[in-house]
Parts: sequence; structure tokens; C-alpha cells
Amino acid sequence: MIDLKNISKIYSSDVHGLRDVNLSIDPGEFVCIVGASGAGKTTLAKLLIAEERPTRGRINIGGWDITHIKKRDIPYLRRQIGVVFQDFKLLKQKTVWENVAFALEVSGETNRRIREIVPHVLKVVGLEQKAHRFPHQISGGEQQRVVIARALVHRPKILLADEPTGNLDTINTADVIQVLKKINDFGSTVVLVTHNREVVNELRSRVITLADGRVISDKKHGKYLIQS
Amino acid sequence: MFIITPIGRVISFAVKNITRNAWIGLATVLVLVLALLSVNILVGVNALASSAIAILEKKIDVSVYFKPETPNAILDQARSYMASLPQTERVTIMTAEEALSAFIERHKNEPPILDAINELEENPLGATMVIKARKTTDYPYLMEALNNPQFSFAIENKTYDDHSVAIEQVERIANSIRYFGLILTLVFAIFSALIVYNAIRVAIYTQREEIGIMRLVGASNAFVRLPLILDAIFFALLSLIIASALVALIISFGEPHLVSFLDGEDPGLRTYFLNNLLALIITEGMAIVIIVSLSSWAAVGRYLKK
Repeated sequence: MIDLKNISKIYSSDVHGLRDVNLSIDPGEFVCIVGASGAGKTTLAKLLIAEERPTRGRINIGGWDITHIKKRDIPYLRRQIGVVFQDFKLLKQKTVWENVAFALEVSGETNRRIREIVPHVLKVVGLEQKAHRFPHQISGGEQQRVVIARALVHRPKILLADEPTGNLDTINTADVIQVLKKINDFGSTVVLVTHNREVVNELRSRVITLADGRVISDKKHGKYLIQS
Repeated sequence: MFIITPIGRVISFAVKNITRNAWIGLATVLVLVLALLSVNILVGVNALASSAIAILEKKIDVSVYFKPETPNAILDQARSYMASLPQTERVTIMTAEEALSAFIERHKNEPPILDAINELEENPLGATMVIKARKTTDYPYLMEALNNPQFSFAIENKTYDDHSVAIEQVERIANSIRYFGLILTLVFAIFSALIVYNAIRVAIYTQREEIGIMRLVGASNAFVRLPLILDAIFFALLSLIIASALVALIISFGEPHLVSFLDGEDPGLRTYFLNNLLALIITEGMAIVIIVSLSSWAAVGRYLKK
């Protein structure tokens, strides 16, 4: 599903985002990518959605070599990878329903399809009762679930969550992780970038640990190794 | 790969952009209106100069005064010869009797002149021949042709109402106005492009969050670009309507004041603009739409490259 071969990202001669990273993620896996700040987690996430390009190496996603992806093809890649960020990125003037529908509207889906898909994904994240509330009227965890719902509208094969619980308390964190597990159970590959020790240790899924831009550990049922 | 984005949704996003950035839109429309007005002033000056020149040209002719005793045969000969020249458009002869009647009519309220005429036993006036050339440049040739020995001895006097100096002056003024008008139009065209470019950049800045999310969730570049280009085209068309209305108003109120400058003749501005309305609107509309489209395309393109 995701193959990174000898990936390096060099910002300047003394700033290396990633150094010769090799990793492979199979379809349907739940993978945690952990590491201290500056370890290269976010750089890796940005490379996967083609927000940045590698300096060296090759990236292959679902059989598509995106190493030198053309700008005009990036929207199609981003419909295949649902993305969830720490800072939610919700539109404040739009309701939960409208925020989720927005991703479909801008992709040219018909209104009929939007009316079909949006209630379905809101149900997956457990927000069907709050569809007409605005972001400021719901909790942080619920806002992050809206973002997950929005990421799911294109039925992505991969869901990439970059520090999705970074701004959440313990209860909301648990809610969001439950939703991610549920999505993984449906068959999607979930890549969770986090430095939340409890989350990683409870998940008991594959853990890839990064340090100084390198993969220092890759365990099938791993634990959080790094001292925060 | 090309994505056909539903037109309705692109328009709906464009309308939202316009309502959110109404003040920037207003400023943009104002500059575009000024640009279009400068073009129309240029067009109007051209039309006015053509009218003025046509009016002046109409007034040029050569009047040939024959001696009173000139026989009709000589007059006929002179008329036939002058009319046969390719440079001549029209020759009219006023006989001595007609000249006298016209003189009496012209001075009917001046008894001393009429008394003086009555005291004379013979008609003191001779026949008059008025020659109109096809082109103003033909007059020197016609004046030369009047030296034909077959009838030149019968000519008492000839006058040439030469308006060529006035024509040259009108042409010179019109050329200067055209020249400065062209510079003004170019300056406004550049201003328009820059203003639209910046208006779109500001629109992108105010909606950067929404556009960022659009790109994150898979909106094509075309979907990001098209609503903003549509906004610019809307501003251009709105400007065209406002500028056309202003031009119509200026002509309605201004043309009557120009009549006195043209010796009571119709300046022909209203007629010119009405006759060329469609061509002017299409040309100006296309030019302004192309300018704003390219400008907004470049503005969005710069953002999308990031």
C-alpha cells in the first residue's frame, strides 16, 4: 500500500527532515509513527500527501509512484488519502454537515451523492445528531471527529492522522482513537502520527519509531520507546 | 487528466467571493470603469474630429465671378470644361439675373442698396460659377484649370474659401488627443491588470483558510481557480455596463454644448456611438475580459504554485 525506498528530505545542508528511510505498510494495517519533536514524523506525513517532495528516494502509494507527482494530479492523490491534522482545519462559519459536504462539493460531486454520503460518514464518527451545529458548539474531540468524517467522504484507502489527539483531553482522545480503530476495522489503512505514549501503548499495533530523521525501530505490536 | 467541475457550484463559490470582498470589488470596478471611459473618450475624439473635418470640407468651394457682359456660350463652355475634370464633384452656375435676384433678396431690408441698384440701368452683376472639388487637395489644380484661355478672359474675380488651415489644425489637435488618449488607455489597461491582480490576491488572502482546506481535501486547481477568475470577469462586465451608461449620459448632456463649436452642425457623436454600439461593446468587453482573466489567472497561479 505504502512503500518508501531510501527516502531523504534535506531542507538545507544542516537541516535533514528524513535520512534514508525505508518502510512498507500493507493494506489494512494500523501503524503508529512515533518520535520526539523534530524526529521527522510530520515531514513523513507531508511527503505522503505530496505537500513536500523527497530530496532522494521513491514513494509509492497504492501502486502509484508519487515521487515526482505532477501538481495537477495532487488533488486525485488527496482524494485517496484522507488527512486529519492536529489543528482541525474546520470552517467556523459552516455547520458540521456543511464542513463534511465541503470536501465533496469542491471535488465536483453531485448534490444527490452529497446527501447520500454525508449522513453515512457522520454516522461512522457518531455525529449524526450534531450535524447542524457549528464547530464552536461542539467539543474538541467532536471537532476532530468531524475532520475524520470529512477525510472519509472520498472513501480513502489510507487515513493519515497527524497528531490528531494533540489538542485533546484524555476522554476526547479515547473517542477519536476509537473512531480511527473503527475505520481500520472497515478495511482502511490508518497511519497515526503521534507522540502520545498512552495511545500508542494501548493500541498495541505496529509502531515505527523515528529519531533524527531515521527509522530506529519497527515493531509489529510495539510500544512507545522514546522518552518524551 | 481533466476534471469538469459543475458550473453551478463554481458560480456559487464565485458569488460568495464577491459578497465577501465587496469593497475590494468596488475599487476594482472603479478602476476598470476609468479604463473603459478613457477608451471611449479616445473613440469619441476620433468621431468628433472626423465630423469637424467633414463639416469644414463641406464648406470649401471656389466661386468664379464673370464679367457682366459675358455671353452664355462662354459660361456654358466654362461650365462644361470644369465639370469634365475628374477632380470636380459639382459645378453650379448662377446667371446674372439669378445673381441679381439673390442680391436683392439678401439686401431686401436695406433700402439704400436697393435704391442704388434701381438707379442703374443695367444689371451690374455678372454670372457666378461655384465649383466643388472631390477632395480638398484638388482645389489648387482646379484653380489652375480656371486659367484656360477659352474663358479666363471673362473672369472678373475668383475666391477660394480655403479651410485647409482649419482642417490641418483639427487634424493636429485630434492626433495629439489620439496620442495622449492611447497612452492614457495603455496606462489604465496596466492599472486595471495590476488592480485585478491585487484584488484577487487579497481575495485569496481573506479566504486562505478555505482555499487551503479545499486543496487539502482534493479540490482540483481548476476548482480553486475558476471562481476567482469568474469574479474578475464579473467585475469587468459590471464595469462595462457602468462605463456604457456613463458614456450615454455624457453624450446626452455634452453633445448639445458641442453644436455651437461646430457652427450649428451636428457633432454626430450620438449617431457614431449608436451605429457602432455592438462593435464597441464587443471589442471593449472582450479586451477587458481578456485583461482581467489573464491577470486573475496569474494571481491564482502564483498562489497555487506554493
